[in-house]
Amino acid sequence: MKKLIEVSNLNIAYGSAAGWTNVVQGVSFEIARGEAFGLVGESGCGKSTVAYRLLGYGTINSLVQTGEVLFDGTDLLKLDAAALTRLRGERIALVPQNPTTSLSPGMRVGAQIREMIATHKALPEGMTMERHIVELFALVGLPDVGHRYPHELSGGQQQRVTIAMAVACNPDLLVLDEPTTGLDVTTQRQIVQLLAGLRARIGMAMLYVTHDLALLAQIADRVGVMYAGQLVEVAPCEKLLSAPAHPYSRGLIASIPTMDGAAQPGRGLRGVLRRDQMSTGCKFEPRCDFATAACRTTPQALEPVAEARAVACMRWREAVAPHFPVPVKREEEKAAEAPARLLSVTDLALSYARPGPFDRLLGRTSPAVVRDIDLDLRAGEVLALVGESGSGKSTIARAISGRLPPRAGIISLHGAALAPALKDRSVEELRQIQYIFQNPDASLNPRRRIRSILARAIDHFGIAVDEKALETVLDNVGLHADYLDRFPDQLSGGERQRIAIARALLVNPKLLICDEILSALDVSVQARIVELLRSLKEKHAVAMLFISHDLAVVQEFANRVAVLYRGELMQLADTATLLSEPLHPYTEMLLEAAPGLRKDHYVSRPPSAPNSKAAPGVGCPLAGRCPRQIGSLCAETRPPVQETDNGFIRCHLTTGDLASGASPANRSDHSRQSRSVS
Amino acid sequence: MTLVTSTPSRRFSTDRWRATPGPFKVGVVILAAHALFAVIGALWAPYGFAEMGAGLPLSGISWGHPMGLDQIGRDVFSRFMHGAHIVLLLSFAGTMLGMVAGTTLGLLSGYVGGWFDAVTQRVVEAMISIPFLALALVMIIAAGPALAGTPVLIVFVVGLVYAPRITRIARAAAMEIATREYVAVAELRGEGTWSIVFREILPNAANVLLVEFSLRLSYAPILIGALGFLGFGIRPPTPEWGLMISENRNLLIASPVTVFGPGLGLASLVIGFNLFTDGLSRMLGQRPVAGA
Amino acid sequence: MSVFRLLASRILLSALTLLLVSILIFLILEALPGDVATRILGREATAKALEVLRSQLHLDQPAFGRYSQWLGDFLRGDLGVSIATGRPIADVLGPRIVNTLLLSLFAFAIYLVLALVPAVIQAVNRGKPIDNVISVITLLLLSLPDFLLATMLLFLFAVAVPILPALATISENSTWQEMLRAMVLPAVTLAIMMAVYAIRVLRDSLIEVLRSDYVRLAELKGLRPRAVLFRHALPNAIVPALNVTALNLGFLIGGVVIVERVFSYPGFGTLLIDALQLRDIPLIKATVMISAAVYVAANLVADVLAVLLQPRLRTSR
Repeated sequence: MKKLIEVSNLNIAYGSAAGWTNVVQGVSFEIARGEAFGLVGESGCGKSTVAYRLLGYGTINSLVQTGEVLFDGTDLLKLDAAALTRLRGERIALVPQNPTTSLSPGMRVGAQIREMIATHKALPEGMTMERHIVELFALVGLPDVGHRYPHELSGGQQQRVTIAMAVACNPDLLVLDEPTTGLDVTTQRQIVQLLAGLRARIGMAMLYVTHDLALLAQIADRVGVMYAGQLVEVAPCEKLLSAPAHPYSRGLIASIPTMDGAAQPGRGLRGVLRRDQMSTGCKFEPRCDFATAACRTTPQALEPVAEARAVACMRWREAVAPHFPVPVKREEEKAAEAPARLLSVTDLALSYARPGPFDRLLGRTSPAVVRDIDLDLRAGEVLALVGESGSGKSTIARAISGRLPPRAGIISLHGAALAPALKDRSVEELRQIQYIFQNPDASLNPRRRIRSILARAIDHFGIAVDEKALETVLDNVGLHADYLDRFPDQLSGGERQRIAIARALLVNPKLLICDEILSALDVSVQARIVELLRSLKEKHAVAMLFISHDLAVVQEFANRVAVLYRGELMQLADTATLLSEPLHPYTEMLLEAAPGLRKDHYVSRPPSAPNSKAAPGVGCPLAGRCPRQIGSLCAETRPPVQETDNGFIRCHLTTGDLASGASPANRSDHSRQSRSVS
Repeated sequence: MTLVTSTPSRRFSTDRWRATPGPFKVGVVILAAHALFAVIGALWAPYGFAEMGAGLPLSGISWGHPMGLDQIGRDVFSRFMHGAHIVLLLSFAGTMLGMVAGTTLGLLSGYVGGWFDAVTQRVVEAMISIPFLALALVMIIAAGPALAGTPVLIVFVVGLVYAPRITRIARAAAMEIATREYVAVAELRGEGTWSIVFREILPNAANVLLVEFSLRLSYAPILIGALGFLGFGIRPPTPEWGLMISENRNLLIASPVTVFGPGLGLASLVIGFNLFTDGLSRMLGQRPVAGA
Repeated sequence: MSVFRLLASRILLSALTLLLVSILIFLILEALPGDVATRILGREATAKALEVLRSQLHLDQPAFGRYSQWLGDFLRGDLGVSIATGRPIADVLGPRIVNTLLLSLFAFAIYLVLALVPAVIQAVNRGKPIDNVISVITLLLLSLPDFLLATMLLFLFAVAVPILPALATISENSTWQEMLRAMVLPAVTLAIMMAVYAIRVLRDSLIEVLRSDYVRLAELKGLRPRAVLFRHALPNAIVPALNVTALNLGFLIGGVVIVERVFSYPGFGTLLIDALQLRDIPLIKATVMISAAVYVAANLVADVLAVLLQPRLRTSR
């Protein structure tokens, strides 16, 4: 195969007031015609910087020190602006990371595609512009949306538009910069499916940049793993995932939560990438389990180790050698006496805005976004609430905490009903329910030191503590006492989340509401926070309502899982039961869409009645999207709640029907690793 | 348009001075010179500010009269020096008044919301809709002849013109900060409104408000000068610079320096403030909201 | 929400604002504690003069009655009678407003050029010497008090190099060339005053837009730089500048007062100053109300333009 792109010895530095920082060092790889190459790494590893250089693009403060990027024999780094302009879009096209901000907001999407074709005079002969655009839309599975503005389309549709735009001039190379980040998991899978299909039809090469190895498994032929600006391993995709050689690759793969807890090829990563703590030798040395003194001083470069495979580690043989992984002991749930019921939620219905005086006058009511929620939580138990973005999971948490007075329904703690509004709850009730927020950057007042942030909680609730209390609680969450005198912006995201957990624990709560507390963190940091939560759960016997879009994380330590779709509970079951026998069609869809670490030829199952529309509060919210929909019944009648062994299912099909046709064929034949449901 | 950043300010030191942006340094030097003149100006001046017959009227520039003499033979340089503290003090006092009133009202209205916010916003909107020079002049007229031309009135007028505009900025900042989770944490703890406004919101709005204060401060001398220029400011013979420019405008052909001397004083003060604001906003990562 | 409903609600709000403005002006001018007549005429006024003024202003009636009477007349187009001249205010105001309108239009045309060109040059060459030079110039101009800028321009172009008239006196029988020549200096002063604010805002917002994802995608689509700038960047960058322009109309109206005063231009601003000096309360109320109405209307127009430029706003507000 002829090489389409050859990157050799690329070095890029970023300039700032403090001087130059090397962000990309000695990166070399090549992509053949029609090949899909994946570039993977944690945030800040320089993968996007490399990708944009393939379009001859760099930010003003970046400088290419050495290296060349040969595209079809011409060095892109030496081309002048006019020549680059001719190349971009026509031969090398970009699919951007965030379609919402990447489409021009004041221009109809059809005009944006037309502009691309007109600029490159790429209209096929004998075809009108309008027809060509409609065909492009059809190619990416969209109806003719040319007259719409970007904000009128959903995120998935916007990404399809940018893909249609990218392939409009039949480019030789498509650069994809995290094209599915921020989309719901089912949409993610559909986009990847679309890209794979396009590649088969058009035959273009791809550079796919992502932090999500599992997704890469579905589309890439070969993968390069980047760490701190260097390629540490290049290997065929299957080989990398089944037998990673570099310690970093191993750690990265091990950090991905697995669905079945099967043995991992290595341990998760410790620490975070710190550009200021870099050794002169191997960049990964500070975080590496196999590091020796020599590693600190000897720089490592990619060395071929096998057919089409290269690793930048002199000790990779030791790293791959079988060692005894410390199996994470899952303590079996003691089937002891059922603890007392802590929290119960009955018939909860919520809507965002409370009707104003204006609306009340006109008899207007805002629609309920959450309906018929029944939950209970026993002391010391972890209940996970899982759903796609916008399903109402955080809204439920807000209502329980008192920040959103419910429209209907009762929330009670220890059997006593809680006042709907925050201001009517007693100090004691407030203390017993503590809330941890999604975004650690915003949950600590940036103007106060950690000491003052923690002390405020104690003072307010008048809790008697000894003077070592703050040190102790920091120790509990795995932080040193020095942190007390720091400001929040001197901490990393994971450390800030630990402080937020410490603040909640400090007042001895009975219930901890964890609202997507992992989603803003890197994979390796997530794994360690989960570890912390698990140990805290055992030590403090605190109950948790754990809200997440990530089924894989949830199964690691939740006792029970509640699945939410568009404001309604679809299913509630023990974690193990839910994963082994999902039963409910929606739960099945979620589990199927979660990509495994192996190519699984995912094809989204078509809805059986795509034309029926789900009206909120009338029929089943899944109507129109459900692959097992019975017919119009689902859209017209509320599905009944059916009790199961350890929970319930809301569906028109009986549990027997569900079980008989349920199990997807490939469910049990390989270890299933999964990520994000949303 | 306002960005609220969350960078806590650190202690000041010589190292930090060196790291400050260039405009900031120049601004600080200009303002320091003005402060110095304000303190020693009256002592340094060779003649009294109302002293007539210091020399031949309109005799132009000389070593004894670096800014010439006005129509009735007063030494313009002496008047200039005597006046150095006037604009500076009036600007500070007026802006401070507007700042305190506007910040309190704005933060409360932005955080509390509801009816209180709706009513406040409508009144603020109405006050802003009256062009500020017209509002200032109308208020001076309404105060009546007894108060006209007194410093208290000028301070009050500047404060009242500024308050609604500052309210709007403070409200926007409070509304943005109120969505942060640390405010929600305080609410979930059951803290009261005042505690949340002053413990959680005010410290985080400080950057925005500091830049706003500095921005308003830079415009105050122009406003006060304009009032003096139109004859509605401090009453003569007080050597307020705007008033001096207005008085000496007839001499523009005969002795232009009598106009441009005080003009230079006023302009350099505003340049100092503007450079200071520019540097400050760059250091705090804020973009000042230009204009009304 | 459709564009029309948006427009309707904005118009309603504007009307409410103007109603509040009228209350405010009335409260400030006539309802402050103390005798209005004494405040107008001073303490040395004779009892007879005070009595005449009181009856002229209907001060014997209760405040609320006077307010509703005034508002009702005002809405019907009856602006009242000037105390100082005894002429109907509408007759006095009319020609002055026309003069000021002419001046403002001239100033606005200059303003558009003065604001757009430097800002685009700066944003395209950000960080380069030309950017810094323009930044320094705008900062210096920003720091010049408007009355000083006007006086300096007058000194430069009418005294030192006398190519333009110092006094912009126009009358009904001046030719349009004369009028244009007379208006150059005041119009340029006004345009500079407004432009310096807009340049800074437009430069910053243009730089922000040039860094946006959609401009980067437009570049990477292979569009020519000119197309990127004019089709994708400028339409989106101009919205904040539009808002500032409308907000700064307050400055413009204040500036009109000063500039007209410096150049003795017979417009709305000099009329306001005259009314204030003569303490002609009916005339003051009318002029201030009209200037507030102009300001509110301009902001309404800016809002509507912003919505037209940014379709996103149509649904999100």
